Amino acid sequence: MRNCVRDLRANHGSLTQQSLADQVGVTRQTIIALEGGSYTPSLALALRIAKVFDQSVEEVFWLED
Amino acid sequence: MSAMEKVAWVELVVSVVAVAVVTALFPWLGNGALGAFGLLAFVVCGTFFLRRRGQAVVVDERDREIERRSTRIGIESAWIGLFLALIAVVLWASYSDRATVDKSLLTWLVFAQFAVCYGVKGLVSIVTYRGQRSAP
Repeated sequence: MRNCVRDLRANHGSLTQQSLADQVGVTRQTIIALEGGSYTPSLALALRIAKVFDQSVEEVFWLED
Repeated sequence: MSAMEKVAWVELVVSVVAVAVVTALFPWLGNGALGAFGLLAFVVCGTFFLRRRGQAVVVDERDREIERRSTRIGIESAWIGLFLALIAVVLWASYSDRATVDKSLLTWLVFAQFAVCYGVKGLVSIVTYRGQRSAP
């Protein structure tokens, strides 16, 4: 599964990995792993991340072909 | 390094040290060296890293997922190891026409099982954390 969390963070001004992690209730290491594509988040976490960026889950996360 | 990764390091180091100390003391203390397996109790020191500091999240869903997987692999490894070791002991006893098995050997196997369990659990956790960190 791929995502555009890194790009969305960059477009959201000074939203750091730590501040995103704090907002969605995970550790910074999980955001790093998630952005690197090595961790697939749970549905709840994916929904929380999408909500932070005011996007739908499909716009933030998608399956690789 | 996350708190749970530090806990995994503690589990791996304590397990290896416990087995190493028992092995090192065995020539001098004999079966008394088995007492060094008590060092395994130091795995609880890992909880020191799980203290909550302020509002920061210490353990999250990824940590719990890795913990679950590594615990399963650790327990399975320990059981497989114990099972194979007991088969080897029984075969050896039968082959050498011995009617009894030294009870200290069985005690050693039981404690070694705990060491293997924590050691493998810690190793699997560390490898998983490192793998996720180095992924592109």
